[in-house]
Amino acid sequence: MKKIESIIQPHKLDEVKEALKSIGVDGMTITEVRGHGRQKGHKEVYRGMEYQVDLLPKVKIEMVLADDRVDEVVQALIAAARSGKIGDGKIFVTDVADVIRIRNEDRGEAAL
Amino acid sequence: MRTVVKLLYETQGDAVQVSEAVILPPPPPETVHRTIASRSADVDRRVLEAFAPTLQQRAKSGLALVAVGGFGRRELFPHSDVDLLLLIGSESDMPPKEAIASFLQQLWDGGLRPSHSVHTVADCVTEHADNAELTISLFDRRLLAGDESLFQTLEERFKAFLSKRATLIAQQLAGLATGRRAKFQNTIYHLEPNIKDAPGGLRDLQTVRWLQALEPLEGTPSLQGALAFLGGIRIRLHELAGRDQNVLSFEAQDALAEQPAALMRDYYRHARVVDRSVRQAIETATERPGSLLGRFHEWRARLSTSEFTVSRERVLLRSVQAPEDLRLFEFVARHQLRLAPDTIERLQGFVPKATWVDWKRMLSLPRPAAGLRAMQEAGVLTAALPEWANIECLVVRDFYHRYTVDEHTLVAIGALESVTDGRFAELLGEIEDPALVRFALILHDIGKGSGRDHSEAAVEVAGHVMTRLGAPEMDRATVEFLIARHLEMSSVMSSRDLHDGATARAVADRVGTIERLKLLTMLTYADISAVNPQAMTPWRLEQLWRVYLLAHQELTKELETERIHSPSGVAPERARFLEGLPMRYVRTHTEAEIDGHYQLARQLESRAVAIEIHHERSIYKLVLLTRDRPALFASVAGAISSFGLNILKAEAFTNAEGVVVDTFTFADPHRTLELNPTEVDRLRGVVRRVLEGKQEAEKLLRGRPKPLLPAKARLKPRVAVKNDVSDAATLVEIVAEDRPGLLYDLARAISESGCNIEVVLIDTEAHKALDVFYVTYQGKKLETAIQDHLKAGLLAACMAQQ
Repeated sequence: MKKIESIIQPHKLDEVKEALKSIGVDGMTITEVRGHGRQKGHKEVYRGMEYQVDLLPKVKIEMVLADDRVDEVVQALIAAARSGKIGDGKIFVTDVADVIRIRNEDRGEAAL
Repeated sequence: MRTVVKLLYETQGDAVQVSEAVILPPPPPETVHRTIASRSADVDRRVLEAFAPTLQQRAKSGLALVAVGGFGRRELFPHSDVDLLLLIGSESDMPPKEAIASFLQQLWDGGLRPSHSVHTVADCVTEHADNAELTISLFDRRLLAGDESLFQTLEERFKAFLSKRATLIAQQLAGLATGRRAKFQNTIYHLEPNIKDAPGGLRDLQTVRWLQALEPLEGTPSLQGALAFLGGIRIRLHELAGRDQNVLSFEAQDALAEQPAALMRDYYRHARVVDRSVRQAIETATERPGSLLGRFHEWRARLSTSEFTVSRERVLLRSVQAPEDLRLFEFVARHQLRLAPDTIERLQGFVPKATWVDWKRMLSLPRPAAGLRAMQEAGVLTAALPEWANIECLVVRDFYHRYTVDEHTLVAIGALESVTDGRFAELLGEIEDPALVRFALILHDIGKGSGRDHSEAAVEVAGHVMTRLGAPEMDRATVEFLIARHLEMSSVMSSRDLHDGATARAVADRVGTIERLKLLTMLTYADISAVNPQAMTPWRLEQLWRVYLLAHQELTKELETERIHSPSGVAPERARFLEGLPMRYVRTHTEAEIDGHYQLARQLESRAVAIEIHHERSIYKLVLLTRDRPALFASVAGAISSFGLNILKAEAFTNAEGVVVDTFTFADPHRTLELNPTEVDRLRGVVRRVLEGKQEAEKLLRGRPKPLLPAKARLKPRVAVKNDVSDAATLVEIVAEDRPGLLYDLARAISESGCNIEVVLIDTEAHKALDVFYVTYQGKKLETAIQDHLKAGLLAACMAQQ
């Protein structure tokens, strides 16, 4: 099993959710986060004062999937979240040792 | 849509599945007391059965089994904890652990949830600063079994303890209640209320009873009705969940009533009675005469007027009837008070004759929510604004909203009174007429429950309401705009690419002017903050600010770049006048005003300058049309200042033919114009002569005393010069501490550096001048050297260093 964590632009969330739903991924956790990568924020000028905006609002989507679904989901994420501009975000894929459903203690892929 | 609910009906541990979608209404009120008393009697029997084999033999002397808490007062709900006290004579009477364990084990096995404690009489009559719960549980106590004389000792000593320490215990009780209520944001209007712990719930009801036992209160209504109603619901909630579950969730509402909305309206009605009683009881308990708080409140009695008496933070009416308008509520809001029960009584059936002016006066106060809440509490809000009934106690179920629609609305208005983020607090301070945001908030969700798009429905209602109240056209248009667009910014925040220039243009286009953008931003801030206590996350705050910033920049840019070109649907003569004026001009003026300006423009055929001065209450407005010439704007600003008048706003636009339309809005702090009507004519004459070059503004001002700069300038002046905003001109933005004559000094600094002013937008809010100039130098944007020179000149002007 793999965990896919993806940081995307907030306005892409609906598109990404739609794309995931269309390939049958329903379970996900979505968090409103702030941060920066290479984009490093930018300066904004308001009323003659410069503000360094270093933590940009982003959305994080997390889901855990069976290994054989990972490629398909990553492709769907890229297709939906890409605008080609700086700040489109990143996708992280990591191994997951086990999954337990709290209600009935199902384990492994059965618990996904 | 109603959900089909499966009910699990549990009796004595046997789960019985009841058929689907059965509605199980709460038991009739008259049976509630019997039901909980009979459960208590049943539990009595079972506790005694468990006590007999385990602890009974020790109970001859030195041990008594006492029912306390809800069990003590014979009010046991199906799955309530069974509170037991093992009263021992002394530490040596402590029964062996195993005996107690086996007693409790038997209760657990029988499906009860015992909650027990072991104490000596001395423990029971000692103050426990950190454990007031023990004292409170002992309020309701009865002997179940064991040493009768030991229990009698407790009876006597506890009664003595109570009467001696009544004040302190009452304060502890009040403190606990206050803390608990705060966890529920002090409101009864939760969509899914916890009927035990939330404000207006059973715990509050019990608190009233206890406080009354300590110190009888006058004039508290009977809580029997509320007890039967809330008790009935709690019985069903326990049965539904099969445990001590007290949240009246959406599912439970569906299971309890054919029409959940009606059930909830009844709920809020009863909860309101309890809430009112408990607040009064808490107040009485915490405000002892002579206490610091008490003394402060006595001091507040000095606020009393010939109409209203203030006593202990409560407003009483001096005459039989309340004043016809909203004065009473304005008074409440101005001093952050509450209505006395007697006042509420007298307001029953009262219909205020409130006009738009009355509403605006109240809503212009810094903290008007208290006034609105007082109106709501006394039923006057619905009387003054019958449309309010649409949303009163209205439950609209969704995942995010925590409160009923009316409560959401009042929380939103309150949210503007505690803006902690500096940027938004500043923005709010810059709004010229915050009453408009507040009035828009009052009505923004009034269309909910109408079955149509709620914004559209609300705009319609707002139109009727404001016409009825006699609101002027401009105010009405602004409020209708705010209501129609109240979801706009939230939707942009979450679903538009903020890096895309098109997003900023779209928002700017829909909002139209910087003034409206500020209003809409603060309305959005309040609306999101009132969804639930956690809704305004730093994330959303940041997003909202970014949307504001983008739209603000776009609108500033538009000032110079977006010009009227070949306007359609107007006569050719008028089209020539409009041609080349900024879009802002048509957005900020009514048809009638534009018409007036056009008439003035026609006068220019026969004279060099056309001037018009109106005034409305203490504010004057001068409109001037003429051919552009160097230092024009500075001269006029100087002429106005030379009369001791204080310029609050100004706009200067030029059309394609080089006709300048300048508008100056100014205050008359020394009442010069008001007391000497001929001065208005003299002002007109001076402005004309200055523009004709017959008089110099500089000389006019020479005789006037220079204003003293405040010892500590509150605001450090900021000047920003940007060349990338417009194709044709350079943007100069200035933020500075306002003072008389500032505008003249700034405009002169621009003229002296050889620059020409193309577009001007001047605004003043709360001692802060917010000025935007678009300038050119010999018809072009400014080179760096000239920029630096200009910037230095402007900064010097801000500091009044000449």
